[in-house]
Amino acid sequence: MLEAGVVARSLGDYFSGGALRLGVTGLSRAGKTVFITALVNNLLNGARLPVLGASAEGRVKRARLEPQPDDAVPRFAYEEHLAALSGEDRRWPRSTRRISQLRLTIEFERAQGWLDRSAQLTLDIVDYPGEWLLDLPLLAKSYAQWSRETLAQSESPGRAPLAAPWRAYLATLDPGAGAQEDAARRCAELFTAYLRKAREDVYALSTLPPGRFLMPGDMEGSPALTFAPVPVAEGAPPAGSLAAMMERRYEAYKTHVVRPFFRDHFSRLDRQVVLVDALGALNSGPAALRDLEAAMAEILLAFRSGRSSTLATIFRPRVDRILFAATKADHLHQTSHDRLDAILRVLTSRAIARAQGVGAAIDVIALASVRATREARIRQGGEALDAIVGTPEAGESLGGQIFDGKGEAAVFPGELPLDPASALDGEALALPEGDNDWRFVKFRPPIFALGASPPQIRLDRALQFLIGDKLA
Amino acid sequence: MSDLRPRPRAFRLDDARIALDGAPARAAAAVVIQSQDAEIAERPGVAALDEGEQAIEAAQRRGLLARWRPKLGGLVWSGLGGLASLAFGLWVTQLIEGLFARAPALGWIGVALGATTLLALLALLAREIAAIARQSRIARLHIDLAQARAADDRDAARAGVARLVALYERRPQSARGRTETLDAMRAIIDGRDLVDIAERALLKPLDALAQAEIAAAAKRVSLVTAISPRAILDVIFVVAQIIRLVRRIAEIYGGRPGLLGFVKLARSIGAHIAITGGMAVGDSLLQQLVGHGIASRISARMGEGVLNGLLTARVGLSALSVCRPAPFNVQKAPGVADVAPFLFGGGER
Repeated sequence: MLEAGVVARSLGDYFSGGALRLGVTGLSRAGKTVFITALVNNLLNGARLPVLGASAEGRVKRARLEPQPDDAVPRFAYEEHLAALSGEDRRWPRSTRRISQLRLTIEFERAQGWLDRSAQLTLDIVDYPGEWLLDLPLLAKSYAQWSRETLAQSESPGRAPLAAPWRAYLATLDPGAGAQEDAARRCAELFTAYLRKAREDVYALSTLPPGRFLMPGDMEGSPALTFAPVPVAEGAPPAGSLAAMMERRYEAYKTHVVRPFFRDHFSRLDRQVVLVDALGALNSGPAALRDLEAAMAEILLAFRSGRSSTLATIFRPRVDRILFAATKADHLHQTSHDRLDAILRVLTSRAIARAQGVGAAIDVIALASVRATREARIRQGGEALDAIVGTPEAGESLGGQIFDGKGEAAVFPGELPLDPASALDGEALALPEGDNDWRFVKFRPPIFALGASPPQIRLDRALQFLIGDKLA
Repeated sequence: MSDLRPRPRAFRLDDARIALDGAPARAAAAVVIQSQDAEIAERPGVAALDEGEQAIEAAQRRGLLARWRPKLGGLVWSGLGGLASLAFGLWVTQLIEGLFARAPALGWIGVALGATTLLALLALLAREIAAIARQSRIARLHIDLAQARAADDRDAARAGVARLVALYERRPQSARGRTETLDAMRAIIDGRDLVDIAERALLKPLDALAQAEIAAAAKRVSLVTAISPRAILDVIFVVAQIIRLVRRIAEIYGGRPGLLGFVKLARSIGAHIAITGGMAVGDSLLQQLVGHGIASRISARMGEGVLNGLLTARVGLSALSVCRPAPFNVQKAPGVADVAPFLFGGGER
């Protein structure tokens, strides 16, 4: 059924002379919204993008926004986000809470051709929370299996303190007893609170399905989102019990939430960029980094699933390029970029190894969609440190200084390890500042000239990898 | 261990104890901050190829590795060529028919001769194709090795060096160099170092051979030009010498250019001379040309001889660069002064 739907849609796309669908995803706070806003802004402004071949050769005529093509999908609020970035109070745009889409047409001239060289590329940028991709493995899991795994995970040393309130309440419940909406809701609330807490900045954990619990979108409060794992044995639970109700809702979540997303959106993507906020996990500690690594591997699993059936390989438009990008590269000095690159490579190596069968080209880079800092060298005593200068956000602190979000500061965030694997070594989570060798503070967006595009780092390289071949 | 690492820290720019960009601090300066505006490097960690190497690769792409693309002129010529070969085929058929009409024995002799010609032609063609494939394989190896070395990529370097060893497998003189390289390949070694070792072990002796060829050719050309009685004679001689030199250099490095292969090689050499022309003027060539105004004052023919010798050496050096299956890293790319010092009157140096 899922397959038939996918095939129908891809046939439809094929005959309507479909656009190139570029998926932009990443776990929350990875910088998806800023990435799209900066990308669209650079293209619309005709900014100089030296690494994007077509732009460097002067072949891009112009780019323009098109009316939203899909009636059922919200439009990416580009203007609003740009206004937030460039407005008086310069703040980062609000985060992605649901899927959204934006259509952009790029007019360019082909580098080679016999007759008419002018051409245009329609680019559909699809923005969706990366958490949703982590739901894919749920499709293959029964409720009992998922409950068992989630409960086991919540007992790991890093997570146990976070899960304590929920586990305490769970201990008072009897899954075999009669179903009560009240108990189910309370249980789901506490479970969601645990997931949210694990996602917070200090912990920065990543592998936390089901994804809609963190990003409910318009489903908030519906029964499909009001369940939680309870300890049950394999096999059907007694009818009318709490466990039976939970199981029914879990199945409903799979049917009404997970499946439609993969059928209607995910399986239609042509190119994919996965944004990764490695700095947040680095701030938290090795356990968070390892968790992020597991999440990356699971995300890539989503790109592989369903490739085995012949029908699917014939009809399904497949993602043929995947870019893993560590965002916020402007939060370190460029001399550290290759070390960040190396850490990202370690984080995604399992994912990339799994991608062998995907048949997609994969690249890994460190970028900054909007460059919020400039570089400087600090000399203090006998030490010379490569630092960055920017306006730290209000409330950020480093070395006893608490920033007010107004004054500029020169920040030396510490040195990343030479051996990237050593950053993943250890059990620590939510490390206090003094125990970590580095601390990345958040910066406010930069001031940039009205009508100009904000400065960026390697956004052009990302574009060249993602759409460069279509602009040849 | 973590104590050795500098701790993360931050300084507010409006702090009184900070000296920013050369401005004096209001209080006693504890910290000096200097802004940097270096461009963010495109690909950190990967060294860029140097200018000379880029020129060589561009030249190789223009000739040795060039794909055949239909062009209008090309279409005209291939059309004409096709018609001519059809006419030739017709003529051969008619000839053989005529021979059969005269006497069946003569006809059979004609058929046999025709078949021999055809077979030989096919063999020639096969050899030509093999030679071109070999040439472009060497040029690709050059590019791969340069990239592997720039990226310090161990696996790529290993694969490239293995191809280099295979290229010289049939050469008894290279036995020692091959053994050294294979030993290095078995050791734990970085890509960059492996490429360097292979270059030193396998290509250094060949470089010496090729440079000696260039020197000999330049010497011959300048001498013959200086004493030849007619201008046309020395033009023919110079062209013949250059063709011979280029073929010889290609053979030294493992290529065997036939006719088409030679045309491709000549294109690459032309492109290399055109690209590096500016650089060469920059080093010593210009001074030398000016200096040999003196030689030409003494005798016009002697000046011409020196000039032709320089030209030959220049072509030989470009041929050396584009035929060499690895970039110059350990070895410095030779200049005209290295191969033909006698042209600069410093033969005894």
